[in-house]
Amino acid sequence: MDGPLTNKVRTLRFLHGEMSQAELGRRIGVTRQTIAAIEAGKYSPSLEAAFRIAEVFQVPLEEVFQWRAEGPEKAAP
Amino acid sequence: MSYREKIAWLYLAAMAVTYGPYFLITALHPPGDALPNLHQVWRFAMTAGAHAILAGGGQAAIFLQNREEARQPLDERDLAILHRSRTYAYYTLLSGTILVGCFLPIQHRGWTLVNGTLLAIVVAESVQNGFAAASYRRQAGGEA
Repeated sequence: MDGPLTNKVRTLRFLHGEMSQAELGRRIGVTRQTIAAIEAGKYSPSLEAAFRIAEVFQVPLEEVFQWRAEGPEKAAP
Repeated sequence: MSYREKIAWLYLAAMAVTYGPYFLITALHPPGDALPNLHQVWRFAMTAGAHAILAGGGQAAIFLQNREEARQPLDERDLAILHRSRTYAYYTLLSGTILVGCFLPIQHRGWTLVNGTLLAIVVAESVQNGFAAASYRRQAGGEA
């Protein structure tokens, strides 16, 4: 599910003492596999989970997740 | 591979290796409608028993290998996959039921209707587990 939603979860984990996916998952209430899917851009988390991730890293939401609107040049066939 | 993905693949495989041969044999040798058809009942009982043993035994084995993960409650991604797979299975079952209940009786009766209903259930169950397994596989990320 490659889309315009990207994230810096992997980088933020690294900057927080190489926090494991399992630890981050435990702190926000999801499984390690869900964190792996979010990092890989294959699953878009709920708004609540996104805010929880930002809270764990003590950063604003937009520093964790970035969304880019599809430009008209991309919409063309 | 996650615990829930393993379970979805297991259920799919168990259904394929038990009910697959059942429907193949039934299609090649259609059961007669004379009652009681104990031969067909026995064939179905053997299939259902084999399926229960495979699915139950496999689930127990997978549980024992992944105890910690198996005890974790479903998270939002699991629930989303479950919801979508159940929706697809529901519409599959609905279509099958309409076919068996409304159209099949025009030309068929007896065991054909029974097996038609059974096929609808098996296909719906396979759609659910197949969709769940494919979703987990597609979303699988790296790093343990």
